[in-house]
This record gives sequence, C-alpha cells and structure tokens, in this order.
Amino acid sequence: METLKNIFIKLGSMDRRIIFLLVGLSVLFPLLKPDWFTLPIRPKQHSQIVFDEINKLEAGSKVLLSFEYGPSTKPEIHPMTIALLRHMFVKDIKVYAVALWPDGNFMSMIAFDEVAVEYNKKIGIDYVNLGYKPGGEAVIKGIASDIRTLYTVDLNGTSLDEIPMMQNMNNVEDFDFVFSLSAGTPGSKEWVQYATDPKGIAMSTGCTSIQVTDIVPYVENGQIRGILAGMPGAAEYEELVKTELTSRGLVIKSGEATSMMSAQSMAHVVIVLLIIFGNISYYLTRNNKRKGRK
Amino acid sequence: MSAEIFGSWIVVFLTLCIFSYLFDDNPFYKAAEHIFIGVSAGYWAVIAFWQQIQPNLFGRLWPKLEDVGEGSVLQSAWYSIYKVLNFISTGFGILDRSIFPEGGIKGYDEIRLMYLIPFILGTFMLLRLVPKVGWLARWAIAYIVGMTAGLRFYSFLNSDILIQIKASTIDFSSDWGTIINGLIVFIGTMTGLIYFFFSKEHKGSFGTLSKIGIYFLMIKFGASFGFAVMGRISLLIGRINQLKDYSTAEFNYATPIISIFIIICLAIWSFMDGGNKNESTA
Repeated sequence: METLKNIFIKLGSMDRRIIFLLVGLSVLFPLLKPDWFTLPIRPKQHSQIVFDEINKLEAGSKVLLSFEYGPSTKPEIHPMTIALLRHMFVKDIKVYAVALWPDGNFMSMIAFDEVAVEYNKKIGIDYVNLGYKPGGEAVIKGIASDIRTLYTVDLNGTSLDEIPMMQNMNNVEDFDFVFSLSAGTPGSKEWVQYATDPKGIAMSTGCTSIQVTDIVPYVENGQIRGILAGMPGAAEYEELVKTELTSRGLVIKSGEATSMMSAQSMAHVVIVLLIIFGNISYYLTRNNKRKGRK
Repeated sequence: MSAEIFGSWIVVFLTLCIFSYLFDDNPFYKAAEHIFIGVSAGYWAVIAFWQQIQPNLFGRLWPKLEDVGEGSVLQSAWYSIYKVLNFISTGFGILDRSIFPEGGIKGYDEIRLMYLIPFILGTFMLLRLVPKVGWLARWAIAYIVGMTAGLRFYSFLNSDILIQIKASTIDFSSDWGTIINGLIVFIGTMTGLIYFFFSKEHKGSFGTLSKIGIYFLMIKFGASFGFAVMGRISLLIGRINQLKDYSTAEFNYATPIISIFIIICLAIWSFMDGGNKNESTA
C-alpha cells in the first residue's frame, strides 16, 4: 500500500513534457490505426434539432451561411461546413455565403470547391460567395438592413446585379434561415443580437467547443435553433447527413470529424485519468505534509 | 518540387516550430510566432483595404464618372482630388494605377460626400503615428467607442437581458421535468446574481445563497473547462492528422525529415543554451 502511495506521489511531480507526450500519443495512435479504436457516434438532441431545421427547408429556400472561422479552428468547424453544404445542396437549397473573418474567405472557397462539384452546383445559380467585409458587428447590422450598401460585387468581382440569385435579395429578412459557422467574435452571438433576434429570422450555429457554454443559453430559449458543438457536433451531423443521403440512394464516405472522433475520445480518457491521478497525488501529498507537521 | 509539396513542407515546418514550445521556449518557436503575427497583420491590412476601403469608401466618394453622369465644374474639381490621390498612390506616376482606376471606381452611381466623415476620421487614426498631431486620433477613437456602445446597448439589452429574463421564468403549466429544470435555472440565476452583489456583506442566509451561487458558477466553469479541453484536443488532432498526411512519399517525407532536423537543432541549442544558463547562474 505504501509503495502504491509513493508511486502516486511521484506521479504528481511528473515532468509536464511526459504529459504532453502521453496526450500526443493518445491522439496519434487512433489516427494511425483507426480500426483499433472505432467508437459509435450517436447524434444528440441539439445536433438533431439543427438537422431537422435544415431538413424541413424546402427546395429553393435561401440560407445565409456565415463563415467566422479560419485555419486555426478548421478541424472543428470545417467538417460541419462540408456536411452542411452536402445536406443543403442535396435539398436544392440556395446558399449565400459571407465571411466575417478575413480567413473565412479561404474556408468558404475550399468548402464550395469540394462540395459544389459533388452535386454539380453552379456559382451564381445555386450558391453565391459574397466574401469578407471588415467591421464585425457593423457588417451584420449592414446585412440586416441593406446588403447592397456593403456588397457591390461577390468574391469573384461579379456585380450583384448580374447574379441571378441576388435578385430581390436586399436584407436578412429575404433569407429563410441563417447559419453561423463560428469560432469567436464576431460570430453566432452577434448574429443573434444584431440580425436574427431583431428581425425574427430562424438561425442555427456550428461553433467551436470553447464557445458552447456561452452559446447554450441562446439555444435553450430558442433564440438559436440547435447547436453543433465542436468536433463531436460535426461528427454527429455527418452521421445524420450520411443517413439522410443513404436513404436517398446516395453514397458518401465517412466525414472528416467522424474519422477523428476516436482520437478525441482516447485523448479525453487520458486527460481524465491524469486529472484523477493528479488529484489522488495532491490528496496524498497534502496528507503527508499534515502528518509531518503533527 | 511542386508548389503543393513546397507548401506542405512550410506547413510541417511551422507546425513543428510551434510544437517545439512544448519542449522549451526556443528560436524555432519565436521565429514561427513572429512570422504568424507579421503575416496575419499584413494579410488583414491588405484584405481590409481592398474589400472595404477601396470599393466602399473611395468607391462612394469617387464613383465611375460614366455612372454618375455629366457633371458640373464642382464635380470636375472633386475628381481632380482623385487624380492627385492617384498620382501620390502610384509613387508620383512611377507605378501602375490600381487603387484609383481611370475615371473613378465602379460600384456606385452617385457621389456620397457623407463618406468624407469616415475618410477624415480614418485619416485621424493614422495621424497617431505623427506625435505632434497624434491627439487627433482621439476624435476617431471617441466616435468608435460612442458608436459601438450605442449600437451594442439595444442589442445586448434585448437579446441578453430581456429575452434571457423571460427564459428564466418557470412555466408551471408544463410537465414536471420542465418545471424542475426551470427551477434549477431560476435558482442558479438568482444565487449567481447574489454572489456578485457586493453592497451587502455575504453573511447569514444571504451568505448561504451566495455560496449556492458559487457552486452554480463552479459547474459553469467546469463545463467551460471541459469544452475548452475538448476544443484544444480537436485542434491538436487536426494538426497531427495533417502531419500524418504529409509524412508520406507523396510529400517527400516532409514530417519525418523536418522533425529530425528540428530535434537535432533543439538538442544542439539546448546544449549550448544550457551552457549559457550555467554561466549566468555562476
């Protein structure tokens, strides 16, 4: 028993670099050998709500898709974007993309390049990419009141008047749904405050894990309809879209987030174990100190 | 070497440079950090200029003459300023014109002089670089602070206060589950607010309620911490996944080669720096 205690006490003073290594290995192994770590993905309520909201939109509905993320948060948000675009394109929903972050432009271009080809969708007819405008909240406010004061051309430099999809599109009220792909500020919160709440437009979000606790109050009272929470949310949405597309006779491979979830789960197991060991070590060390004082 | 392979080598090198911080603060990490800040600032400035200032500010002040229509003498005088700005921006005629195209900027069909205000305020911001007239930047900052406060006030009040208060009321006509959930939210909100009420000493029943508030806050912080860990792990997975992809023959074994290079360099640096540290301690 005493030996075990000593082991735990020594674990408490473990070099932080060993902890980094353990976490790194827990991520690396499932990525190298995915077959050894396959775990089922069960969509949770919030992801299901997002899916149902998109699924009930009719063909020709107009969805404003806002890109508020960049390469740094790509692993969490981008898989959602791909799954979401697949879902919307297969339902013939018209997608209008804007970016509130400068690198959101890259993310939107990569996503459209990948998915538009799969479903034979044409720019200007099935989707339009308006690109980035600096200003954050002011841009959202501008989209809410008059898009054309902000945007005169799309990302390719085509005048909005020459884009068929942009006819009669003047402000956020002309959209049926707003979807915010958010990694921070400006993001989902600002869309709620400046556009969807004042104008009464339905909205959902896919955000980074770190934002979830800040966004959930809006979700719980219906200001935001469902939330895709980080990589697990993305994997759940991929699963729902895969089921939907399979039911339509379409075959798609597993999404990126799904393939990375085993690594996520393994890392969580390692972190939880480290927290438990750390607490036991702290408890034992404190007890030893108290005994020493007596 | 194709552009894709070259790009992959840069990606791997910079990723591993940042990861090297886990070992210790070192020149690789510092270099990657500085490159990141420089590139981000440069990219942001260029994008902001070409997506906003050029088309939306200059474009409104000097729209294409053919779209504006026949003009007066005043209009000609106004466009002579445009010509002067073009002359300056092209390095006094040495460079090709790009910011101020011939005959005005396409996009709008009327001159909007109202936009002179943001133009002047924007210029004031830049004057911060000139110490003698740097105080003028305060006018622009005052405008931004005032405008943002006003803009945010209503939206925040509506979405974050009024609707949230409405949502924290308990609906006693619904099922038991919803009522219990509503009660937890209500108690959490009230006790959380009590904890942040500092005009009364936290003693007695008030202190107990404040303590309950702390527990609710702790649960919130715990959830936030859990999600933060999850987010960071997701990002780590993304990086490791990319490093794995670039470790193949297709990318000329970028990951293993650069890893070995950085490890050797760090070992040498550590040995040398260790010597320096010992000297300074002595």
